[in-house]
Amino acid sequence: MKRILKLVAVVAVAGLVAAACGGGNKSTNTGSPSASTGALQSGGVLKLAIEADVDHAFDPAKEYSTLSFEPFRCCLLRTLVSTNGQDASHDGDILQPDLAALPQISADGLTYTFTIQSGIHYAPPFDNVEVTAGDFARAIARESDSQASANGYSFYYSPSGGTGGGIVGFDEAKGTVPSGVKVVDDHTLAITLTAPLGDFPWRMSMAAMAPIPPVGNSVLGWATGHTKDYGRYLVGTGPYMFKGTDALDPSGPPSQAAISGYVPGRSWTLVRNPSWDASTDPNRPAYVDEIDVAIGGTAQVLANEVDNGTIDMEFGGVPPAQQLAAYQADPTKATQVHATPSDGVRYLAMNIALPPFDDIHVRKAMNYVIDKDALRRTRGGPLFGDIAGHFIVNSLTGDINANYDPYASPNGQGDVTKAKAEMALSKYDTNGDGICDAPECNGVLTITDSADPYPAQNAILVASAKKIGISLDVRAGDRYTFMYDKCLDPTSHAAFCPSVGWFKDYPDALTFGPPTLGSAAIGPGGCCNYSLVGASNDLLKADGYTTTDVASLDAVFNKCTVMPIGQERLQCWADADKAIMEQAVPVIPWLFDKDVDLTGSRILNYTYDQSAGMMSLDHVALVGGGA
Amino acid sequence: MGRYLIRRTLFMVLVLFIVSLFTFIIFMKLPAGDPARRLAGSRATTPQELQAIRHSIGLDEPLLVQYGRFAKGLIPWPGFFLNKQVYFSWANNVPVSEEIYSRLPYTITLSLGAAAVFLVVGIPIGIISAIKRRSFVDRAGMVFALIGVSAPVFWLAYLMLYFFWFKLGWLPGIGVPAGEPILKSIALGRFILPWFALAFTFAAFYTRMIRGNLIETMSEDYIRTARAKGLSERRVIFKHGLRAALTPVVTMFGLDLATLLGGAVITETVFNIPGIGQYTLQAIFGGNFPGVMGVTVLAAFFIVIANLVVDVLYAFLDPRVRYT
Repeated sequence: MKRILKLVAVVAVAGLVAAACGGGNKSTNTGSPSASTGALQSGGVLKLAIEADVDHAFDPAKEYSTLSFEPFRCCLLRTLVSTNGQDASHDGDILQPDLAALPQISADGLTYTFTIQSGIHYAPPFDNVEVTAGDFARAIARESDSQASANGYSFYYSPSGGTGGGIVGFDEAKGTVPSGVKVVDDHTLAITLTAPLGDFPWRMSMAAMAPIPPVGNSVLGWATGHTKDYGRYLVGTGPYMFKGTDALDPSGPPSQAAISGYVPGRSWTLVRNPSWDASTDPNRPAYVDEIDVAIGGTAQVLANEVDNGTIDMEFGGVPPAQQLAAYQADPTKATQVHATPSDGVRYLAMNIALPPFDDIHVRKAMNYVIDKDALRRTRGGPLFGDIAGHFIVNSLTGDINANYDPYASPNGQGDVTKAKAEMALSKYDTNGDGICDAPECNGVLTITDSADPYPAQNAILVASAKKIGISLDVRAGDRYTFMYDKCLDPTSHAAFCPSVGWFKDYPDALTFGPPTLGSAAIGPGGCCNYSLVGASNDLLKADGYTTTDVASLDAVFNKCTVMPIGQERLQCWADADKAIMEQAVPVIPWLFDKDVDLTGSRILNYTYDQSAGMMSLDHVALVGGGA
Repeated sequence: MGRYLIRRTLFMVLVLFIVSLFTFIIFMKLPAGDPARRLAGSRATTPQELQAIRHSIGLDEPLLVQYGRFAKGLIPWPGFFLNKQVYFSWANNVPVSEEIYSRLPYTITLSLGAAAVFLVVGIPIGIISAIKRRSFVDRAGMVFALIGVSAPVFWLAYLMLYFFWFKLGWLPGIGVPAGEPILKSIALGRFILPWFALAFTFAAFYTRMIRGNLIETMSEDYIRTARAKGLSERRVIFKHGLRAALTPVVTMFGLDLATLLGGAVITETVFNIPGIGQYTLQAIFGGNFPGVMGVTVLAAFFIVIANLVVDVLYAFLDPRVRYT
């Protein structure tokens, strides 16, 4: 979810962009660089720039942002299982073997056994050390240390993390190997869970689970003494490593000089890892020899640098609207603009425990009446996303619901007739004219972000809701100290939270439904069930609500959570999506976000990494091999 | 003199203590919401995780203990000063001392360069304006001063970037690339635009101040006496007039330089110079309290030191001032 930060940062992109894009998950450039069919040449230095650094200096147990996910996946850290680094239309959302084969699952769904490849070695200075099962156990042990994983995502491994279950003994391990993790032999790792979790292999694909080299008999091996700064001493097995990794001294103290190729806040320099063997890694073509990333500068400055060839791309940013318009208008450059569904949804959250949204007909009427197209224009138009007709993004349900939109309206501009018909069924429309006439519809407390483009969006929402007699009392403030505080706190009685969105962590709908609409995600300690779906009677009473019974989706989610990865699981989540939209109706999804990248003229084979949600650095090649 | 210095040093410690205390209170207590929640951002976090975040940065300690840990890190003694146990960035897990030490050379380069520019530009214009009062040169100097004090640095910086980098391509404007030695950056002219953008406002202030001081000084009795003794006008101005007129400049210059050393936030941000000012902004927006505390106290330190130096120097320049 932290990835929303990236999107929040780009919202100011104004609507100069007009190229319409189709649905599905394909990148929507029109050809050449990314569609290059000639043989791609290896070599060269890929020059990128980013506006700000990663959050936690590349510590895999702490980093929880898209900006770090891609360099981890593509380049620095191989994990037991992974993806091919491509978009959903090229199976980028399908789990692939990596350091291990896909796991064997016990009949009860509780034990996952991974068989690890032989002959994989770490980057220097651990190039003589072969990756073994114990190295993964070490990573799990580190993840169980709340200090090492603070700010990270240990909840995916903790039985008490609110994600349906976790590794046996994880909560008690506190920096040691949990009892549920068994090193059967050097190449076999068995992990036992407290409850069946169909998506568990995905959880093992995350960077925090990358192997940690052993050092002596210490439990945490090479990570010992680096609770806060392991990222600056990172040694992995990917095709690249930070420049200067080989200068680390395995027998030296934790206070030794950090890797020179990563200067926090200034630069990343990734060079080839001499230990990496392409024949063991079909997921990563790794064309370029070096990846240089400069940190700093505004979007406009970086856009100029792309234009004049100083850099090849702003990585993870959004090109300025003027630059996008100029490239799209130029047939020779239009192919350098790429837009790909990023597996994120923007939605409006209604508090189903508060009038007038405690009436499902009002919620359905709101779904009909909102002008989603106008909202989308505030974000840059169709290039930046498709109008959403349902909640869970299509790639996470295998496109089963791609054409599903129970509240469709012409061009997504709202259907007042249907909205009024729905409102007429509500108890808040006493005369049945489709206009809410109850006092509960006046001054509906709306908590929103004050930054652009939300003021423009608020105006659209106020105008849309007014058509069915709902007047919004809009209170805007800082996103983190006001908006989230109020929307996450049930006692604040916020009725409408329209500035929210959600992005997957990995390609499974478990990272979409339960965190946003599960009962465990209610309240400041939970995050981010703003709608109070599934709130208990006790919670509602304690927080001052008169409503005592609200819809719950927990049973629907629980059913899907335990299913193993496969078509049945996809269908289950697709059905859950329908339950969200028709039975509970706590949200008004309005945009399936797209990532928009603009690449320089040297870049060939642009590929979008669906799992990480960014351009795939290992699939990019340079014209003439960068010569 | 010795007692004076001791007293001023103790006063300096008191000022730094007050600055650190207020910084702590402002950052930790005034903003709405839980700092741990702010650090966790918008992602899903359980109460246990929030507790882990609090514990990892010491927020689960009593407030006084929290402050004590930070205050201890301000004691200028090895092992204490900006120690990594406490002064470890909440935003990117990098020691604050490392950030400050690596960024300080850029800020010093920017500050000294800008100071040289505003002195070299501001003082002569101020002198000429005063000497040629009500002439065209004086009017031009005052127009320069008016524009200088009116133009916001960020506007001027973008204007200079637009013309000299983007349109004309005469000067570099994309900041200092990572890994480039600072002397090379200077040689390549990467600091020229930032120096001038930063110096412009200061130069205007100095012009106005020197002009005013010099005009006032030149009407003093002792100047009339000097002229009556038959000294040349040049000698009257430069030996008798300027000495008195420039004395307040020392005070102002000391404090201005100290302020710049504390970080030219806007200039460093616009020109992408990885100095203290840029770090300050990143620390504030990143919710990185150790970073904020480090740079705030550093800036306060520069100012109190500059104050002390200026006061000592003042007594040398003006015999009427005594250490008491």
